[in-house]
Amino acid sequence: MVETEKNEFKKRDFFFLVPLWLISLIAPDPYLYHKKEFKKKDLFYLGAICLAPLIWSDSHFHHLMVLAGIYAILALGLSLFLGYAGQISLGHAAFFGIGAYTTAILTTRYAFPTFLAFWASALSAAVIAYLIGRPILKLKGYFLALATLGFGEIFLVIVRESSDLTGGVIGIFGIPWFSVMGFSFDTYLKQYYLIWGVLIGLFIFSKNLVRSKVGRSLLAVAASEDAASSVGIHVPRVKLEIFVLGAAFAGLAGSLFSCVMSTANPEAFSLGFTVLIVMMVILGGMGSIYGPVVGAILLTWLMDILSKYQEYSLPIYGVILILLLIFFPDGIGTRLNVRLIYLIGYWAKKKRRDEGKL
Amino acid sequence: MSLLSIEEITKEYDGIRALDRVSLKVEKRSIKGLIGPNGAGKSTLFHLISGVEKPDSGKIYFKEKEITSMESHEISALGMGRTFQTLQIWGNMTVVENIMAGMNRRLKGNFFSYGLWLPWIRRSEKEALKEAKGILDSLGLLGKWESMASQLPYGKQKLLEFGRALAMKPDLLLLDEPASGLTLTEMRQLSERISRIRQEGVTIFIVEHHMGMVMEIADEIAVLHNGELITEGTPEAVKRNPEVIEAYLTPGSTAKFKGHL
Repeated sequence: MVETEKNEFKKRDFFFLVPLWLISLIAPDPYLYHKKEFKKKDLFYLGAICLAPLIWSDSHFHHLMVLAGIYAILALGLSLFLGYAGQISLGHAAFFGIGAYTTAILTTRYAFPTFLAFWASALSAAVIAYLIGRPILKLKGYFLALATLGFGEIFLVIVRESSDLTGGVIGIFGIPWFSVMGFSFDTYLKQYYLIWGVLIGLFIFSKNLVRSKVGRSLLAVAASEDAASSVGIHVPRVKLEIFVLGAAFAGLAGSLFSCVMSTANPEAFSLGFTVLIVMMVILGGMGSIYGPVVGAILLTWLMDILSKYQEYSLPIYGVILILLLIFFPDGIGTRLNVRLIYLIGYWAKKKRRDEGKL
Repeated sequence: MSLLSIEEITKEYDGIRALDRVSLKVEKRSIKGLIGPNGAGKSTLFHLISGVEKPDSGKIYFKEKEITSMESHEISALGMGRTFQTLQIWGNMTVVENIMAGMNRRLKGNFFSYGLWLPWIRRSEKEALKEAKGILDSLGLLGKWESMASQLPYGKQKLLEFGRALAMKPDLLLLDEPASGLTLTEMRQLSERISRIRQEGVTIFIVEHHMGMVMEIADEIAVLHNGELITEGTPEAVKRNPEVIEAYLTPGSTAKFKGHL
């Protein structure tokens, strides 16, 4: 008698099913081969990104999304290295800083057009990543984490001390707005489209990498380096390439950041910032390319909302992060639907157990 | 010249000699078996051949090229595939991607052409997918092509690892205990498969504990004991060799071998 009651489908379960169905429409599930292709869903996201600032026409929202977009570019590059190749980097903020300072110095001291400085930033970050990566990437696990951490700190010290070039602790001010062929991105709305445009371009690039040979070799390196080299994958080169690409993304993000904030100062590139980016990648979901974007938006918003509570903001922030990590270990952007089905199933079961029916 | 020849190879770990001046040859289009009690140095020899570790002295030639000091990925790019004693499947990928990753060295194109998804990349990816599905079909794994490799049962994972090595289109395939942990039916299918790929022109070098299987499929068998090569020859000759029998008359491995004498 009890047995039959247990598996019965209740009317109330529709109440769970309808939202689940809606979620499953938008939450991407990367754990199937064909799901790595571009889908109609992606057009839906694209439309949402284009329309959001027009519907929500509020300059605070625009500014917030500009920041989220910049963080997302940064997190996207890091997620290729962290989530796909399975390597740890705690020095990613340094490449962001290199990008920001390259743009700052080139535009204010040498009157470079921002468009050129934008590409120069990516280039300088990539070159430095190449020089650093060659020796450092032989390390694994914690050692790699410590080495990259050390690199980030060294960068910070160099920036603070060489005040002739970088303006020291105060930083560089008066970086011009980003402009292309005389068109200047001087409002938050224009900046929104600039940054999300760049993000979408880089996102498509990354998604193409991830669903092809490159993505497969990254995942192979993450899972088993011995097996990877047994099929002819050059493990050190794969790691180096993706490290350099991640750094180039970070350089672009840094350049955009300095143009939007019109300032570059060393405090923005400290360890705390790296941890924030790593958090975005982890919370968003490591096994997905959508993850870092979702994570970046989520954390930027969370910080903004919590800033109302002043001194309580950090503890609340910490508690929310821990709860998210407990209940969504795969990340928000990854398998959200599967996860929610599990959680709702758990709650429903728990309720019935409490009622003594199970 | 033989496809693979090993000359006077020696390897020591902390003063313990794992391999002592071992010389071996593997002829083209043959199946060579390598047997020996636990700790005889079989896996060490495989690691040296595939470049995971480097020998202390001696030389290894593959396709008449010296590969002794080459990196592992360079050696595999020359056309040497291998499986591992402890299963090394990429559980973070789908089944079909495991096979496609095995074909990596045959897919051309650099970073940017993949990122920009140029037309010819699209084409080559499509062909790779088709070919990978063909390989899965021949292994009987096509029904599971989209599920994660980590979700397959152990026997199927072993099969997948074997398929991944095949996807490289190797000239020499090193199989490190392919039958361990398999059921009898799976083992029989495996020996059939090995004989079939030999007919397709692949040379096979196999380490196996399961005597019945090696004796059945191998053309020639080499026996390692305490790091030394004691004998080499056809399965029948090896079975009758007194030294081999003595080497196997150690507790644990006795029963298994005796049954086939």
